[in-house]
Amino acid sequence: MPPGAKRLLADQSDRTHQIGSKLKCMCNGCDQAAGKCYHVGGAYSGPCDTAKTMLKEIDTHIAAGMTDEQVLKAMIQEYGPLAYVEPPKSGFGLVAWLMPILYLLGGTALVIVVMKRWRKRPVAVAAASSANGVRVSPELLARAREQAQRETEE
Amino acid sequence: MDVFGSFALILAFVCALYAFVGGIAAIITRHPLLIKSARQAGIAVCGLIFTATLSLVYLFFTDNYSVAYVVSHSNRDLSTFFKIAALWSGQEGSLLFWSFLLAIYVVSVLLTYRNKNGELMPYVGVILAGVQLFFLTISNFVASPFKALGVANAAGSFDLVARADGNGLNPVLQYPEMVIHPPNLYSGYTGFTIPFAFALAALLARYPGEKWIHLTRKWTMIAWCFQTMGILLGAHWAYAVLGWGGYWGWDPVENASLLPWLTGTAFLHSVMMQEKRGMMKVWNVWLVFLTFMLCILGTLLTRSGVVSSVHSFAQSSIGNWFVGFLLIILGVCLAAYFKNKDYLKSENQLDSLVSRESSFLFNNLVLLVACVAVLSGTLFPVFSEWFTGSRISVGAPFFNKVNIPLGLLLMFLTGVGPLLAWRKTSTESMKRNFRGPVTAGLLGGVIGFFLGVREMFALICFSLCVFVATTIVQEFYRGARVVKARSSASWLVSCVDLTLRNTRRYGGYIVHLGMVMIFIGLAGQAFNKEVEKELPIGSTISIGKYELLLQSMDRKQERNYVADRMIVEVMKDKKPVMMLYPERRNFPANQESGTMVAIYSTLREDLYVVYAGMNPQNNLPTIHVFINPLVKWVWWGGMVVVMGTIVALVPTRAAVVVLARTEVPSATRELSGIRPAQVTLREGHD
Repeated sequence: MPPGAKRLLADQSDRTHQIGSKLKCMCNGCDQAAGKCYHVGGAYSGPCDTAKTMLKEIDTHIAAGMTDEQVLKAMIQEYGPLAYVEPPKSGFGLVAWLMPILYLLGGTALVIVVMKRWRKRPVAVAAASSANGVRVSPELLARAREQAQRETEE
Repeated sequence: MDVFGSFALILAFVCALYAFVGGIAAIITRHPLLIKSARQAGIAVCGLIFTATLSLVYLFFTDNYSVAYVVSHSNRDLSTFFKIAALWSGQEGSLLFWSFLLAIYVVSVLLTYRNKNGELMPYVGVILAGVQLFFLTISNFVASPFKALGVANAAGSFDLVARADGNGLNPVLQYPEMVIHPPNLYSGYTGFTIPFAFALAALLARYPGEKWIHLTRKWTMIAWCFQTMGILLGAHWAYAVLGWGGYWGWDPVENASLLPWLTGTAFLHSVMMQEKRGMMKVWNVWLVFLTFMLCILGTLLTRSGVVSSVHSFAQSSIGNWFVGFLLIILGVCLAAYFKNKDYLKSENQLDSLVSRESSFLFNNLVLLVACVAVLSGTLFPVFSEWFTGSRISVGAPFFNKVNIPLGLLLMFLTGVGPLLAWRKTSTESMKRNFRGPVTAGLLGGVIGFFLGVREMFALICFSLCVFVATTIVQEFYRGARVVKARSSASWLVSCVDLTLRNTRRYGGYIVHLGMVMIFIGLAGQAFNKEVEKELPIGSTISIGKYELLLQSMDRKQERNYVADRMIVEVMKDKKPVMMLYPERRNFPANQESGTMVAIYSTLREDLYVVYAGMNPQNNLPTIHVFINPLVKWVWWGGMVVVMGTIVALVPTRAAVVVLARTEVPSATRELSGIRPAQVTLREGHD
């Protein structure tokens, strides 16, 4: 076999698994990707028969000269929209995609509100509640300052 | 022995009930004898749980196949080593094991603080007894590990039987790491019970001061350390055993273990806000509550089979009990919070937007967003089934897309946070602190680009890793320079000296360094390669720089299994490097088989070889080869993280007097801004 042909084979298999990792193993027993299926127990661990069949189909599609997108489309057409390992970006699946964005926006808004409130908080609160802390004598403070100075000088 | 074990278990239940009810009575009446008896009942519970657990281990060791649990998880040929692992390989045993680990924590807490914190401990005892009571209820009445093996007879009752041999242990669990991964992870899960108990107790008792924070921080770090080790050992186990070439698949149970880790990490950071500035008290209490609830949720997800998972060997309908328990915890937390809300009033104001305080706020934001995003992603298939009737898959690509940007943001904050001063950072010190690291980070990115890294996220990640690593080195350098100037010791001695002077701060930096290494390893995933092929003996397969020659196959008969091996010679650039022996093991006891991956690992990349099976039609073996760059960095980084945590747990050598309200991060402290009246003295923490 010429070296070029060998390389092609290697690339092809890598591609098969890349595409396979975007498709769900349709054995109904797991929530794993066909390219990464690793059932525990069962006949043996490793890709189950369904996942293997799906990978072989992808191989066939690739051999027919299809692009990654086309292979994915063909597989989704065959196994239904649930075969795609990501939630669809339409319908209820869109909710899954919007959720993290909403969390981040909501959280950031919350942090900004909290910061604004903290900025406005009167210093008096601090003084009033320092009863919980230890009162410091001037000598101790001086010593602490000196030590901080010593610890931190460059 | 099974009767003995179940008797110990029921007695433990009774004692826990007393510790709980008697403890509440003790809090109300404040009778010293009642307080003492409740505490001693709590200690007795732990002793009885130890007894019950040891009884179950004894049943495994003596091959007692009249006990249902032993029959389903062991057999005579199983080695003694794995018989220990069999203890937690199923539902009943792992719940007992939960109680066992919790009992170790509880007994340590009760004994350590028996003469201290007199106001707080009765509350802590009651809360711990409550949690134990729940698990003992399950172990006694719902899923008893000591249930005798029975066969239904015509009369509708059961005849007791004993079998000659057991069904054996699941082969994927017969791996040394499986003997240490679950105990670590469970120690993490159970360990978060202690901070929870202290937080709730402090809130209920309106315990004055920040004492509970000091008590809790140590226990949180212990639990966090175990959780980290547990997660990484689990990842390594998945990598070395499951044979799909990766170590993290965003499996529901993996996610479940990550959730309390994320909130626990958030707490370990935001706790400093309370210690230093008396801020974020409400937030901290709720973070601890949330972490504990996520631990229970994690156990629920693992046990109930709500979401299908690789960990499906521990499923049942026990979920309802956990949902009930979770609701009770939530109810108690809410009630305690609304009753004593005023106790958590914050003390301070935010002086500047560019300060350590704001960096902690954003750190907590990112960790919590990641936590909620992972949680909702994990539960999304269930939600979609409720709302639309069909399950929508949420797989690894989704979690990666969501979490990679969040992870990078977190890495950025890891670098920025320690360089910002408490209260406010002057432009001058900003310049001085950031000049070096930013230059190094950008340079790292450019070098990465010219080395051929074209994946955007990987490039950003490498650049950030260099940035963060430089900030850490800079912090050590500046601190050590001061020590060196005074003691004229070597750099290494100065660094050690510096670390021992403030273990918490420099231990924290070591943890950050470990995280940098882990992130480098994670970024390596962008460059994974794989190839799978049916390979006749004597032929080769090539991937990257490697060429693999299948020399021959052989078969080995072991005590508990039959191993089929591939004998593979690895050549790199046409030169022989080493031999690899990927295996498939067939276990006759339960008719199952498992893989044994062969890995040639270097700091640069792993060559990962799997014997994927034999094609029955043409009798050709299939080989699956992966090149996974930088994986080793994840494991080594994990070790550095654990080391750093241990350093941070070591008490600081001399109690250093630190000005709490003016704590400035690096060696550039400005003392001009001190307001004397508000200074409090604390131990030398950072």
